Order: sequence, then structure tokens, then C-alpha cells
Amino acid sequence: MTKLPHARWLLPLSLVAVPAFHAAYATQYMSVAEAQHAAFADASEFRALPAIGAATANALGAPGWSPQLFEARRADQRLGWLLVDRVIGKAELITYALALDATGAVKSLEILDYRETHGGEVRLAAWRRQFVGKTAQAPVQLNQDIKNISGATLSSRHVTEGVHRLLQLYELTLRAAG
Amino acid sequence: MSAAHDVRRAQAWLGTFVEIRVGGLPPLAAIAAIEAAFVEVAAVHALMSFHETGSDLSRLHRMAAGVPVQVDPRTYDVLVAALRFADESGGCFDPTIAARLVAWDLLPRPIGATLLDPQANWRDVELLDGAHVRFHRQVWLDLGGIAKGYAVDRALEVLRARGATAACVNAGGDLRRFGEAAESVALRHGSANRCALPEIELGNAAVASSVVTAHGERGDQCVHSVHVNARSGRSMRARRAVSVVADTCMTADALTKVMLADVRVGGRLLRRHGASACLSDGARGWRLFGHG
Repeated sequence: MTKLPHARWLLPLSLVAVPAFHAAYATQYMSVAEAQHAAFADASEFRALPAIGAATANALGAPGWSPQLFEARRADQRLGWLLVDRVIGKAELITYALALDATGAVKSLEILDYRETHGGEVRLAAWRRQFVGKTAQAPVQLNQDIKNISGATLSSRHVTEGVHRLLQLYELTLRAAG
Repeated sequence: MSAAHDVRRAQAWLGTFVEIRVGGLPPLAAIAAIEAAFVEVAAVHALMSFHETGSDLSRLHRMAAGVPVQVDPRTYDVLVAALRFADESGGCFDPTIAARLVAWDLLPRPIGATLLDPQANWRDVELLDGAHVRFHRQVWLDLGGIAKGYAVDRALEVLRARGATAACVNAGGDLRRFGEAAESVALRHGSANRCALPEIELGNAAVASSVVTAHGERGDQCVHSVHVNARSGRSMRARRAVSVVADTCMTADALTKVMLADVRVGGRLLRRHGASACLSDGARGWRLFGHG
């Protein structure tokens, strides 16, 4: 196997702003069912709990908020809860699952789905068109799909805030229901 | 990496999203490997967080200057690297700039931290045998400019040790990968540049990016960037964006900070570390630096 070079930089050749072909980045990491089984491998049942009421959502300072709530069970035993929530960042929509054990302690936190709500700055299709034809000596095999993005760091602050709200919800309703 | 056999997961660590992708393992083994890699990321997060009171950094900040404190070998590794980059860059990279960030409300004041010596800098951090650290004058360490890259490197080693033939760990844009074929990485630097953007075909290597963004705006007071030129003590001018390719993500991560602070010093360090970079200065477009 030949040693791969570190990298090849593909730089835009002009400063012309490229219109259209916004490629929004989106990835699904896990389905809700996968998250359930990942967090509670022993569970035999995931009982969907009723949506939280308007009064509870308002009490937590989040009118209209409606996370999906599941109770993980094995026979007569409660193993914990899986709470699926969505948060909106500056330009992204994130679905995540928080697993709590039977005592309400955090077991795991997984991102289920990451989606950009607008096109961001990746204008690949258009810029590749610009690139094509200018690399005759060094033809470039470009992957069709971009799996990786490097750039300004995204903050996970909204997810952290969401987790705090779910833990308050646990204190307010789930713990009492036990 | 063929998409059909990839397993990917993402979790929130290090103040951002960490995505881990693995190829070449059966699904259950891939998931177990990813979980083990996340444990390593979580450990680096817990040890090197500036905010969390139980971290090695918080313990150091609570101790009086002159007292040796034992830290985790991983924290020690990162401190060794951080001080080396500080030395090589003549202080362009400085892990003790936290005091300025605290003063500008970009970082919270460490809880219970002893009073800071305003004259202190990275030269006041002494590394002793047995993973002990001693401050000669009281400083606050912030490993934010390097620990994320280190976490990526550690996680990737876990995946390699578990037999993955291809893997990628991406911590909020600081990523490292290995695999038979190179992969495209799109570089995106927020609104710093509205023009066409670069892309990299990345082999078995790492890339990290940094963008100077204005944060901490407080009414009509001046706006400070989270990127501080450690030598002048001033926040850097806005609209500069850089990506660095290097062997390890920790090196790439650290060199982005040097490149943002000083292109000449940065260029020298790129060559020393066999790294390359592309930098945008707003209107001037993209420029390549370093090796390759």
C-alpha cells in the first residue's frame, strides 16, 4: 500500500461569491429505538408516557415543549427512562436522547440527529464546478458526499441547557410518579 | 470507508459535539469500540476542563504557587505539549491566557482559585517528575487550545487498538482520521468568508480549524475575540480563519492558534512539524502555508 500524503488542499481560485447549491449538513446517528436499546440493553419494554401538560411546560419556562418520554422496563421492574428532546441552535436542529437510571441519575446522552436548519457556508457543488477544468495536470477524484466538516466550533450549550430542563422535568413529574 | 459498514455516533463533550465513525468492524464490535473511545474523550474532558471543579486544572488553580501538584498522566502529556508550543512560538501559543479571558467575561472565574499574579505567564509553569506540576507564580491554565485535539488523538488510538481499519473522530471540527482512501473534508469558517471555500483530501492525518469570532459583546464596550494574541495581550482582529493539517490533532489544534496570532511564527512551526495550513484574511482570499 502506498503511503498516503497528508492531504491535498483544494483552494478556490477566485474570490467570486458562489450562489446557490447550499449543501446543508445532516446526519442521523441513531433512531429512537436504537437509543432505547443502547441505553437499556436488558429492557423488554419501552412504555411511552403521556406528553407533559401545558402547566408543566410553562412551569419549566418552556411553553409548548413536548419531549418524548419512555419508561424502560423489564417485567415488573423499572430500569429507568429515556427522554428524547430537540433543541435548536444558531443554525442547527439537534435531537438527542437522555437516559436516566431508576434513581434519576444520568446514564448516557446520545445525539440522535443533527441537522442544519439553513445552508450554512458549504457551497460545494458550485465551487467544484469552478474547480473542474483547472486541474488538468492533477485530476482530482472528489468524493460525492462530504462526511466531514472542519470550521468554527459548534457550541453544545443548547444541548446542555436541554439536559438541565429534562432533569428538572424528572424532579417535577417522573420521580413523583415512581 | 464504505458507508454501508460505517457506524457513527455523536455525543456532547468538550463544549461541542464529538462524532466518532468507524469502519471495518462488525456492528457490535464497532459500537463497543466507539463507546470505549467516548470514555476516553469523557476522561480528557473531566481532567482538563477549566470550568469543572473536579478537574486537574481546577485542583491546580486552588493550590498556592510553589506547591507541587500531581496530575493525571494525560494532563501532564498535554501540559508538556502546551509548554513546548509556547516555547517554540515564543509565547504566541500560551496556555496561561485564561486570566485575560476571565477579565473579559469569556471564561468564568475559577471557583476557589487563589489570587492571580498579573505578571505570571507560561514560563511560571514547571513540570516535575512523576507527573507533578508546580507554579512559580500563580497562573490559570486553559488547555482549550489543545486538549480537544488531544482527546481526538486518544480516541482514535482506542479505535485503532480495537481493530478498526478506518475511523474518524471529529470534535467540533477538529478531526483526525485513518483509512485506506483519503476523504474529503469541507472547510467552513462561519461568516468569516462568504466566498468559495476550500476543501481537503485528507489521508491519515488531522485537520483543525479556528476562526476569529467576536464574543463577549457588552453594550457599547469593546468586543473581544476569544483568540488572544498572547504576546501583545490583545484580542485578535476579526475575520481571520485558518485550518491546519498535521500528523496529530493536538499539533493541528495548537498550530491554528499560532497561525492566528502570527503568520510568520506560524509558518516556521508548520515546517518544523511537517504541517500545512490555509488561512483567510477576509478580503485577501485563501493562502497556503507550510509543507505540502
